[in-house]
Amino acid sequence: MPEFDPEAYAKQAASAIGLPLNPAHLPGIAMNLALARRMAGLIEQVKISPADEAAPVYVARKTP
Amino acid sequence: MSATALAAQIRAGTRRAADVVEERLADIAARNASFNAFTEVTAARARAEATAVDAEVAAGQDPGPMAGVPVAVKNLFDLEGITTLAGAKIERDKPPAARDAFLVRRMRAAGAVMLGALNMDEYAYGFTTENAHFGPCHNPHDLTRMAGGSSGGSAVAVAGGLVPITLGSDTNGSIRVPASLCGIWGLKPTYGRLSRSGGFLFAASFDHLGPFARDVADLALAYNALQGPDQEDPAQHWVGFAQVGASEEIGDLRIAIAGDHFTRGGHAEGFAAVAAVARALGATRSLTIPDAGMGRAAAFLITMAEGANLHLPNLRTRPDDFDFATRDRFLAGALLPAHWVQQAQRVRAAYRAKALAVFDEVDVLIAPATPYVAPLIGQDMIEVDGTMIPVRPNLGVYTQPISCIGLPVIAAPIADPVGLGTPGGLPIGVQLIAAPWAEEKLFRVAARLERLGICGAPKIRA
Repeated sequence: MPEFDPEAYAKQAASAIGLPLNPAHLPGIAMNLALARRMAGLIEQVKISPADEAAPVYVARKTP
Repeated sequence: MSATALAAQIRAGTRRAADVVEERLADIAARNASFNAFTEVTAARARAEATAVDAEVAAGQDPGPMAGVPVAVKNLFDLEGITTLAGAKIERDKPPAARDAFLVRRMRAAGAVMLGALNMDEYAYGFTTENAHFGPCHNPHDLTRMAGGSSGGSAVAVAGGLVPITLGSDTNGSIRVPASLCGIWGLKPTYGRLSRSGGFLFAASFDHLGPFARDVADLALAYNALQGPDQEDPAQHWVGFAQVGASEEIGDLRIAIAGDHFTRGGHAEGFAAVAAVARALGATRSLTIPDAGMGRAAAFLITMAEGANLHLPNLRTRPDDFDFATRDRFLAGALLPAHWVQQAQRVRAAYRAKALAVFDEVDVLIAPATPYVAPLIGQDMIEVDGTMIPVRPNLGVYTQPISCIGLPVIAAPIADPVGLGTPGGLPIGVQLIAAPWAEEKLFRVAARLERLGICGAPKIRA
């Protein structure tokens, strides 16, 4: 698998969501993406099962 | 003078709210420039509200428990007639708010007098209140140092004695961090306890609102007034009024020190503060909240993604109008893979289950609030455990794992930081943490610590 390239990824992902990127902002974006990837790597280590639901619970309406 | 004492005098008719407002307005005019706490002073509004309070007293009516108490709010709270800035230059273009935020209306109904809006990190994304548009907030204990953030103006206004009570918001530590660095009390209630409607949100999964004060009675006064059901906040989970009193009885409480994650990654003063509080309370047991570091990582990712989504329209069209300190984080947050964010929400829920199990064994946990005393304004790096790390994100290392699962916390300031041996005698606080909806236990512990003289807002030394 090729190594994660935050700048290349940022350009592609930004294009997908219609977010123009100023080249001057790319180093800061790449630094923050690399940090986020480290955080994501941490939580990948947590053993969760299909029964572990996401935290937010949608409420259709507060009162009947 | 405390808010509680002030309200008692005004309700008794021995002091006029109008005089208090004039005194506060003069003090703010004289000293706010050195703190940079207020971004807007609502003098006309304050005078009108104070006059109305005095008229009620003169007519034999009770204006409420906060009668004539001067208050101010972080500038992400809607105040009728002025634009809600949320620390952002971008928001200056927006029309004035049509009505007050819910918590502002609650304080007004209790008789409080609104003095204005307070400085913060842009869109609440920071722990320092070094705002590029409105300038940095200055810590009253050392004007060259950070106030903490993102509710920096709220903490500074109280610590500096400009007003006795303010409101802030806390998504990852934004009440607890500045409370610690400025040496005052702060309350981050249980997630869902207080309505957030009329507040400019940041990351809705984690956003809380709460008060700052210089003593526990004032913190309780504000907290009691702020409670109320509100259909307009989808995250509020109304469980009824839970008024707190002045009790300092803690004989029935099991109190322990938070272990593992909360015992590393900071300087000696953070841990010394925890030890002093534990000693005073006779707490010797250490308990670990499992996976706290994982909770922090999950909070980091969810915050990035939710904050970025909120601001994507402006990130697309005017990125250079953002504070450079927040811009690249928001831009990166807009690009996170969905898997990272959904995994973070599932890990968050699994972490919550483990953390709640800890509260089967304990009522209150003591943890550091910040890893160190206030850094210098503009300082980028700091040495921790022999390694130089970025100073700003690490300010939330102990607060983030708690807010991301919504536990209630009182940030309690050490009364004598000089005696504790903090660098420069600067303030530092601890977190008192309880199970969801158990704020009342926290208030009892806080009152006991205040009575023992261990915790309290330290005086500003000349």
